[in-house]
Amino acid sequence: MDRRAGIAEQNRDITLEGVAKRFGTKGRLVEAVAPIDLVLQGGRTTALVGPSGCGKSTLLRLIAGLELPSEGRITIGEETPAELRQRAGLAVAFQDPALLPWRTVAGNVALARSLARMPRDGAAVDDLIRLVGLSGFDRHRPAELSGGMRQRAAIARALAGLPELLLLDEPFGAVDELTRDRLNAELPPLWEARGATAVLVTHSVTEAVRLSDRILVLTPRPARVAADIAVTLPRGPARDPGSDAFRATCAQVLAALREHQLPGSIAAQ
Amino acid sequence: MSIAEAGAAGLRAVPRGLTRGLWVLLVLLAWELVARLSAGAFVIAAPSQILHYAASHAGLLWRAFFTTLWAAARGFFWGNLAGITLALVAVMLPRTERLLATLALLVFCLPLVATGPILRVLYGPGEGPQVTLAALAVYYTTFLPVMVGLRAVPQGWLDLVRSYGRGGLTLLREVRLPAALPYAVAGLQIAAPAAFLGAMVGEFTGAERGLGVLTVRALRALDLPATWTIAVIAAGASVAAFAAIGALGRRLDLAPPEVLLAAPAPRQSRRWAGLANGALALVVTLLLWKGAMEAFGLPQFFAKRPEDVWTYLLTDAAARARLLEALAETLSLALPGYLCGLGAGAGLAMALALAPRLSSAILPLAITLRSIPIVATAPLIVWALGRGAAGTVAVVALMIFFPTLVACRHGLARTPRAVLDVFSVYAASPLRRLLGAQLAAMLPAFFASARMAIPAAILAVTTAEWLATGRGIGALMATVASTSDYNMLWAAIALIGLAAALAHGLVSALERRILARTNPEQLAR
Repeated sequence: MDRRAGIAEQNRDITLEGVAKRFGTKGRLVEAVAPIDLVLQGGRTTALVGPSGCGKSTLLRLIAGLELPSEGRITIGEETPAELRQRAGLAVAFQDPALLPWRTVAGNVALARSLARMPRDGAAVDDLIRLVGLSGFDRHRPAELSGGMRQRAAIARALAGLPELLLLDEPFGAVDELTRDRLNAELPPLWEARGATAVLVTHSVTEAVRLSDRILVLTPRPARVAADIAVTLPRGPARDPGSDAFRATCAQVLAALREHQLPGSIAAQ
Repeated sequence: MSIAEAGAAGLRAVPRGLTRGLWVLLVLLAWELVARLSAGAFVIAAPSQILHYAASHAGLLWRAFFTTLWAAARGFFWGNLAGITLALVAVMLPRTERLLATLALLVFCLPLVATGPILRVLYGPGEGPQVTLAALAVYYTTFLPVMVGLRAVPQGWLDLVRSYGRGGLTLLREVRLPAALPYAVAGLQIAAPAAFLGAMVGEFTGAERGLGVLTVRALRALDLPATWTIAVIAAGASVAAFAAIGALGRRLDLAPPEVLLAAPAPRQSRRWAGLANGALALVVTLLLWKGAMEAFGLPQFFAKRPEDVWTYLLTDAAARARLLEALAETLSLALPGYLCGLGAGAGLAMALALAPRLSSAILPLAITLRSIPIVATAPLIVWALGRGAAGTVAVVALMIFFPTLVACRHGLARTPRAVLDVFSVYAASPLRRLLGAQLAAMLPAFFASARMAIPAAILAVTTAEWLATGRGIGALMATVASTSDYNMLWAAIALIGLAAALAHGLVSALERRILARTNPEQLAR
C-alpha cells in the first residue's frame, strides 16, 4: 500500500504534552517555550502567530524533532517526530531557504525526493517548479535567484517529498505581495487534497486567516497560547481578504495579539 | 575621440599576454642590471648567468628535476590521501577531532632537518625519505581546510537532511563532500609547492640524485649561478603546480571557499577541559611514539624511545645545556621573524584595503611568491643579508608574510556588504571603515594564519640555520645527525614539538579571548 494514500483516515493529530524548551546554560538560561499542552488536528492547517522572537520557530522545530524538548512529549499520531522523520513523512520549508548552492533549482527540488527515498520523477519536479512560478529558472543556481525566488524554490522542495506533515516557517516572508497572493491561493490545495497536516508560522495576520483552519496566538517569550481562534470561513470566496467575514476574523486575531504584547512595546503604546 | 582616449583605447587593444610579456621582460632586465652592479657582493646571479648555467648543464638538471618531481608527486598523493582521510575521520567521529588535530599538528611540526636523517637510516638508500618527507610536508595543509570545509555547513543544510530522517552518510554525500570540494582544491593548491619542498629536503639527506642533491653541492662549492638556477627551477615548478591546480579548480566551476584556513577550536565547556585535552594528546603521542617503535622493532641505537630521551635530558647536564642554549638562540630569531611576518602581512593587507588600486598589482605577485619553496630561497636570503640575525629573521618573516597577506585580504573581503553600505551611507573615510568594520572581519583569518604560521616558522628557522647560518637548533640537529648522536637528535625533536604545541596553545587561547569579543559567531559551531 502506498504509505502516502489515505493518510486522512488515521489519527494524525499532533499532541504536545507539557512541552517546554530552554536554551543556554546555568546563569544564562533562556526559556523559549513555557510548558504547553496542545493538540493540533491532523489533516488541518494551523497557523502560529505572535510577536518576533516569541518562540514560534522553536515550537516548529520541536514538532519536527530538530530540537528536543527540555520537558514533555510530542507525538504525531502514534509516532514520535523522529519516527515520522525516519520514514520521511515530514517536510520543513525553512525561513532561510537553505538551498544547496552547487545544485540547480531543479536539482534542489529533486534532492527532496531522493532524501525521501522516492523514485526520480522529472515531470513531478517540473510541475512543482512551474507551480511556484520558477519556470525557466530550473537550470539556475541559487546564487542567481532573488531572495523571493529562493524561498519559492524551497517551498517546491518541501512539497516534492509528498509529506504527511508540512511545517512552514514564514515561507513567504521574502516573496513579493502579488506572488504571495497567488501562492496563498494555489499552494494549499496541494497538501489539503492529500489530507496532509500543515503547521504555518507567519507574521502576516491576513495570511494566517487565509490559509489556516485554526490560529494560535502566542505570547511573547516564553511562548504560551494566548488565544485559540478557529477560522470557520469556508474555503473559496469567503476567504477573499476584501470580505467582511474575513476582516472580522483578522480583527479578532489582531486584538488578541495587541492584548498580549509586552508592556511598553510599540503596539501597546 | 580625444588623442588621450585614442591612446588609452590603443593600449587596451594590446593583448593582455603581450603586456604581461613586456612586464616580465622589464623585470628580467632590472634583475640583470642589479646582478651586474652587485657582482662583487656575490649575492645575486644574473638571468644571463642562470641561462648559461642551465644551458650548459641541461641534461643534468633535467634528470635531477624529473627525479625530484616524481618523488614529490608520490608524496603529494600519499600525503593528501592521509590528510583527507584524517579530516573525514575527525568529522565523522567528532569526539576524536581535537586529539586528531593536535597529533596532526605535532607531526607537522617535526623539523624536516631532523626527520630527514632518521628516515634515511630507516629506509636506507632509495627514494623512501623523499616521498615520505613530501607527504609529511603536505598532509597538514590539506587536512585543515578539508576539515573546515566538511564542517562549514550551515545549520539549515543539516536540518534539511535531518528533517527527512537521513543520517550521517547522506549528509556526507549530499552536503559535506560537495561543500568541502572547494576547500580541498585550495588545500591541494598549497600542497603542490610544499610537496616539492619536502622532496628536496629528503634529497638533502643523502639521496643519489635530484635537485636537492645538486643544491647541497652548489651550496658547498659556493656556486652562485648553480644555486640560483636550481632555485629558479624549483620556484618555477612550484608556481606552475600551484597555478595548474588553481586552473583545475576553476574548471570544476567551484565557488572559492569562504574561509581558507581553520576555524578556531570552540571554547571548552569546563575550565580544565583544555588542559585535560592537552594531557591526553601528550599521553597518546608518547604511546604512539613508543608503540610504533616497538611494533616495527626499530633498533634502539637510532630509534630512541620517549624514556631514552627523558633519561638523557635528566642525566646529561652538558647536553641539556647545549640543547637549551641552541633552542634559546633559535627562538630569539624565530619569534621576531614570526611577529614581523604576521605584522607585515596584516599591515599590507590593511594598507591595500585603504588603497585598493595597488592590490591588483601586488596580490598576484604575493600569491606567486607564496608558492616558492623555502629551501630554494633561504640560502639566497641569508647570503644577501648575512649570517647574523637579520638573515634568519628575514627568512622566517618572508615565509609567514605571504600566506598572512593572502589570508588577511580574504578576511577583509568577508566584511558583510550591508555593513560596508552603512559606512558608505555616512560617507565614512576609508580609515574609519577599516577600523570600524573591516578589521573585525579580518581577525579570524589573521588568527588562523597566526596558528598556521607556527609550523611554517619552525620549518623556516631550522632550514635557514641548517643550510646557511650554522647556528641554533637547526644546525645542532644537522651536526648531531651527521655524527649519529641520536640521543641529542631525538631530544631536539621532542623539545621542538613541545615548543610548537605550547606556542599553538598560546595563540589559540589569545585567539579565543579576542574573538569572543569581536567575532563571537566564529566560536559557535
